Amino acid sequence: MKLLEYEAKEVFSKYGIPVPKGVLIRAPEEIAAHLPEIGDALVLKAQVDVGGRGKAGGVLFADGATAVETARDLFSRDIRGVPVGSVLVEEKLAIEHEYYVSIAVDRSSRQPVILFADAGGVDIESAALADESAVRRVIVSPLLHDIPPFLMRELLGDAPKELAPAINRLYHVFREKDAMLAEINPLVTTPRGVYAADAKLIIDDNALARQGIAVNRDLSEREREAEKHGFSYVELGGSIGVIGNGAGLTMSTLDLIEFYHGRAANFLDVGGGADQERVMHAVKLVASMPGVNVIVVNLLGGITRCDEVAKGIIAADVPPKVIVRMAGTNEEEGRELLAEHGYRMLGSMDAAIRAAMEVSA
Amino acid sequence: MIYADKSVGVIVQNITGRQGRFHTELMNDYAREVGGRGVVAGAAPGKGGQEVHGVPVYNTVREALREHDATASVIFVPAMAAADAVMEAAHAGIELAVVITEHIPVHDTMKAVAYAELHDCTVIGPNSPGLLSPGECKLGIMPAHLATRGGVGVISRSGTLTYEVVDELTRAGIGQSTIVGIGGDPVIGQTFVDALAEFEDDPWTEAVVIIGEVGGNLEEEGIRSTDLPVVAYIAGVSAPPEKRMGHAGAIIEGGEGDARSKIRRISALDVLVASRPSEIPELIRGVL
Repeated sequence: MKLLEYEAKEVFSKYGIPVPKGVLIRAPEEIAAHLPEIGDALVLKAQVDVGGRGKAGGVLFADGATAVETARDLFSRDIRGVPVGSVLVEEKLAIEHEYYVSIAVDRSSRQPVILFADAGGVDIESAALADESAVRRVIVSPLLHDIPPFLMRELLGDAPKELAPAINRLYHVFREKDAMLAEINPLVTTPRGVYAADAKLIIDDNALARQGIAVNRDLSEREREAEKHGFSYVELGGSIGVIGNGAGLTMSTLDLIEFYHGRAANFLDVGGGADQERVMHAVKLVASMPGVNVIVVNLLGGITRCDEVAKGIIAADVPPKVIVRMAGTNEEEGRELLAEHGYRMLGSMDAAIRAAMEVSA
Repeated sequence: MIYADKSVGVIVQNITGRQGRFHTELMNDYAREVGGRGVVAGAAPGKGGQEVHGVPVYNTVREALREHDATASVIFVPAMAAADAVMEAAHAGIELAVVITEHIPVHDTMKAVAYAELHDCTVIGPNSPGLLSPGECKLGIMPAHLATRGGVGVISRSGTLTYEVVDELTRAGIGQSTIVGIGGDPVIGQTFVDALAEFEDDPWTEAVVIIGEVGGNLEEEGIRSTDLPVVAYIAGVSAPPEKRMGHAGAIIEGGEGDARSKIRRISALDVLVASRPSEIPELIRGVL
């Protein structure tokens, strides 16, 4: 789950990474009360989960005289389709130099990777693509609590040593907050020292509970409802509903629909060992989406029992036509049950999707 | 065949849980069928002295290994304790840990894999269906009846999609040497590179099917690293960017991991990429 900038900065600050003086406001008029503490040179930053926020008009500068008006302007904007619900008002830093630092999970080495660039800022990605040497990278053993000094020297090169404490603390944040990504862009030097001018933090969805986060904001309400039943669920907007078991097989089912020029309505992975109850909920959930006129159920495997699946489909009894492809334990019993109730069960993925295409057309 | 054979002694961690119990029985059914040793002991804290389908249970892996000759462990421990279970196994001298558990926090996996490496323990998974060498051994949850012995290796990040592909191969009369599910998480122990290196040293294996997904570039790294004939299939071409499709590992990352660009890069290495699972047998025949 992605944290917003102000939330990430709260975390960074707790870990001793200096952040600019700032306050979160939810209405333009609130800004006036905070001017005495923040000062006269201001940056107003829309708290929206949008990449390229600055370029999309989500960051504005102001002084005491223009603060309220600028805040009104920002709250009225739409940043790449996302309305502005809150604004972080910060002191404008006297920036000497901008650097880039991020810590992420490196799949190849299976260890944390730290990236650092001497030229941070909004164009870091294009700069990194244009010149690979612009970004230095080091791998740190996940068994270490700190970045060892020799790796820090390698990472910083000729950049000032005073950046090191902030980067090491960012590594602490990354480790202790179960982060998939912890990023400061830019990390800046000022006459008053080093600051994290921006902050990005993505928490591992599998660790939300132990991080004390009860609700995953990145999911829609229906997706959360699906999660309660143990489903992975994404809405895609087409007319062919899809229910599968296992992420790979379900994805492959979607791909096959596209291969036959159809449009899938959703992705729904019922998970391992689905019983009658769960299958029924899955079928009902998919059937409740507007525009779905046929549902493909594609289930395979050892734990899932085909007779249970058949009972779930029959119990759901939904208006869209349900076409079933399944193989595994109690396959024959499942087939007989479905046939008795007038459902079609087909032997292969290809056949099931071709049949669904005919209904959908 | 790779990683293990008939002679391997297996322990199951959290053998007293629902999944551990169920699959211990299936693994031992398979071992009896092929004349292997199967699951010789189980471990579950506080459950020492019990039996599961005739298999003795111990409180710790170390105690189990004191009484039984085993080198592999299949781990069904719940997500928040699974990394600890991997480290316990490695510490006790287990050489091959197969982690079935899904939803393990990625920081836990990184630590467990690094710790296992210090103890020369090979980790398969997490979020893996395990491995199956038809006629030899089964470590994990793959349905054995779909597979048949032969010369094609299968490496996959998925569970049920693997069964689909194995079913297609078997129906087409193409047998498998070892089917290994390396797991769908962003961080996994054995990668395509590692599994392909094992297959290269395996006299049984003539060609390999790689089943990948959106996310990362491990498939491509693996293909670059091997001289074996390879056929690939990548799931997720229809996945919209930035949408989760069930696996943490299946999040599309900034262009590098999306299925179409992955397929393009693999095709550029002169490797055939199937556009759907049912095409795989025909393509693999072409490289055998």
